[in-house]
Amino acid sequence: MGSIPWVCSRCLARSARLVGNLQPIFQRRGLHTGSDLSPALLTRARSMAAEHAALSDQLATSFDPKIAKRMGEVSEVAKALMEWNDANKSIAELKSILNDPDAEAELKPLAVEELESTQASLTSISGNLKRALVPRHPFADLPCLVEIRPGAGGDEAGLFAFELLRMYLAFCARRGLRSSVIKRELGAGTDDRLSEAVLEIEVDGSYDVLRTESGVHRVQRVPATESKGRTHTSAVSVMVLPSFPENGVSGDGALNFDDPNSDYYIDPQDVRSEKMRASGAGGQHVNKTESAIRLTHIPTGIVVSMQDSRSQHANRKKAWQILRAKLAEARQEAREQDVVELRRGVLGGVARMGRGDKIRTYNYGQSRCTDHRSGITVHNLDDVLEGGDGLDTVMDSVRSWITDREILEMVSELPEKHK
Amino acid sequence: MPRIPTRLIVEAYQHDALLPLLLRECRTLDSAKHELRWLREHALRVKSEATPHFSRTLLRTMCVARSKGIPLQYILGDQPFGDLDIKCTRGVLIPRQETETITYHAAKLILDKLSKDGGGGIDKNRPLRIIDLCTGTGCIPLLLHSLLSPHFPKITITGIDISTVAIGLARENRERNVRLGLLSKRALTDVNFQHGNVLEYADHTSALNKVFQDVRVPPSPHLDLGCDVIISNPPYISPQDYRNGTTSRSVRMFEPKLALVPPEESSTPLLGERNFQIEDLFYYHIAAIIAKCMVRLTVLECGSRLQAMRVATLCRNILQKRSETSGATISVWSVTGVDTHPYAVLIQMSLNNKGPCQGQQR
Repeated sequence: MGSIPWVCSRCLARSARLVGNLQPIFQRRGLHTGSDLSPALLTRARSMAAEHAALSDQLATSFDPKIAKRMGEVSEVAKALMEWNDANKSIAELKSILNDPDAEAELKPLAVEELESTQASLTSISGNLKRALVPRHPFADLPCLVEIRPGAGGDEAGLFAFELLRMYLAFCARRGLRSSVIKRELGAGTDDRLSEAVLEIEVDGSYDVLRTESGVHRVQRVPATESKGRTHTSAVSVMVLPSFPENGVSGDGALNFDDPNSDYYIDPQDVRSEKMRASGAGGQHVNKTESAIRLTHIPTGIVVSMQDSRSQHANRKKAWQILRAKLAEARQEAREQDVVELRRGVLGGVARMGRGDKIRTYNYGQSRCTDHRSGITVHNLDDVLEGGDGLDTVMDSVRSWITDREILEMVSELPEKHK
Repeated sequence: MPRIPTRLIVEAYQHDALLPLLLRECRTLDSAKHELRWLREHALRVKSEATPHFSRTLLRTMCVARSKGIPLQYILGDQPFGDLDIKCTRGVLIPRQETETITYHAAKLILDKLSKDGGGGIDKNRPLRIIDLCTGTGCIPLLLHSLLSPHFPKITITGIDISTVAIGLARENRERNVRLGLLSKRALTDVNFQHGNVLEYADHTSALNKVFQDVRVPPSPHLDLGCDVIISNPPYISPQDYRNGTTSRSVRMFEPKLALVPPEESSTPLLGERNFQIEDLFYYHIAAIIAKCMVRLTVLECGSRLQAMRVATLCRNILQKRSETSGATISVWSVTGVDTHPYAVLIQMSLNNKGPCQGQQR
């Protein structure tokens, strides 16, 4: 430094900052850079981008709704990949400036600054790319049914199930989601203990909003029924099922349940329908008010019974809706399970959160709500149970957890496919 | 009727003090619980602004009424029928679930057969004509209209009943369902209800002709009467079954006998017929109408499998007397299963310019 006759004060200050900033840059680089995006993921993104280019060429000459649809699916990936490439290119350029001994000394601090900001944005860009690569859930655009059933814990579980039902109703009301209770069975002799409830949310895409709620919800509190002041732990299971529109999703082969080729088609021959009423003379001879309907899907043994309405016709319609939803969910789950089994065989230990797992704890004594998947804890239980912002916070954190997990699964899945 | 075990009564009482009352008529705890819930919902709906005390008294009154056997539909005032809401009052038969099932099947048949088949298809200018004999609350015409009107630009449905109370109620139901938005406004002009005696039509076609003149449907050259479909749920209980306990007490005491048992005095001309049974009286008359009018599709509700077989045979005998109608396809339809399911006799005729029918396919 002694050989340099003079250094301007501004440059001196910048280089001092550079020394100070060197560490953070390194840290970030260690956490999120191109190496985070596994090569398999990148290959997949590139092939999808190539497909996008090919499709847009095809579309330029002739229009085909199928191609347009597929293009819409891959265009996000292509866009994210392009951004990612741009960012990487500029990083490489900046690095070459830094490493070039011939470059002007004044440029270097500027390049360092630029590099810093580009690398920061690269993190979010690669995040976007990964999210774009995760395939959309097949039911994401559908309305949904929420089934609430008390589990272990007797009366207390029934009481809490009722509170959960109220929570979801309030949540839907606050978010402006149209909802109605299509089945509500109360426990024996009470009017605040649920034995089963099905809530229908008729808004498209509500499956995606509520799918974070599937699983076992645990409650820890001193129940109203407890005389000695002991804290009880009970469980309520919540199942979020896709609800298929009555006349099918026109045009979309995969979700059109009337189409025998669809994954979610139910052969009416497989379903036994029983009117639960006594034998004996019928028709004009008697005036039975019994309108219960029970549907049994023989291959899987799933039974749905519906008796809330006085109209048998309405009961049958609702029962079919629930049966369809349950079967679709079961089939989707089986498919996911297959993937997990396969992965376990190759990699070992990829956990999956099923509907049988405990997902959330509502602790009254500590007034907290903890989600065990994302690990978030909200210390305002009342707000959560009223379906307020607290519930939103929890659900959002779970949603981002689900996305992260899906990315992880995808990353671990890809190498197998490329073998 | 077997006694209700004391254990069940106690159990019901533990659930709700009003349940034992309902148990008397419902016989099982589950159905009693449902009825209590419906009654309670009704009590809260009727006077939502009134004091809780009032709705409790109302609920209690309704439960006491129900324990005496008054049908739930008369207490609540309505009965769902398909997507419709049918008002029910004393003196008119309450729509049954069996009738609902048969009406849905009839609508399906009409859509499959009459809207598509080429040769005997309905031309666009002529409305589809349907007659419901013994219509009661008007449930069948109204439900058929709600199911068929989206597929047929023109449709005329006539309900006929001998009871003036029933005709009044049927008209009221038409207006009520249009008001509730369950029926399209077309129903007000498309669906008619007329007073008439089904047992006179076979002998005096002029009476039936008059029905169509009132509807202002021009008689077609191919048909004696402008009618495509006849559907009916006539009285089909024999006087023995009405007395011997097959018919439930509540039905016997509170629903009109007129709608359940064919009149014995009208059956004397038919007493000579082989295998004649009084409960089949209406089917003879309806079969005679079909034979005269060349109706393309007929759907007749029956009480049991045996009766359905008898009705199928008697229709075959009557239709074979005329060459034009001898080729009609007659079948017994039911939902597969045990004996309580609804039974209906279907008579289908394909009209090839009035010639003897050929090529029946089911």
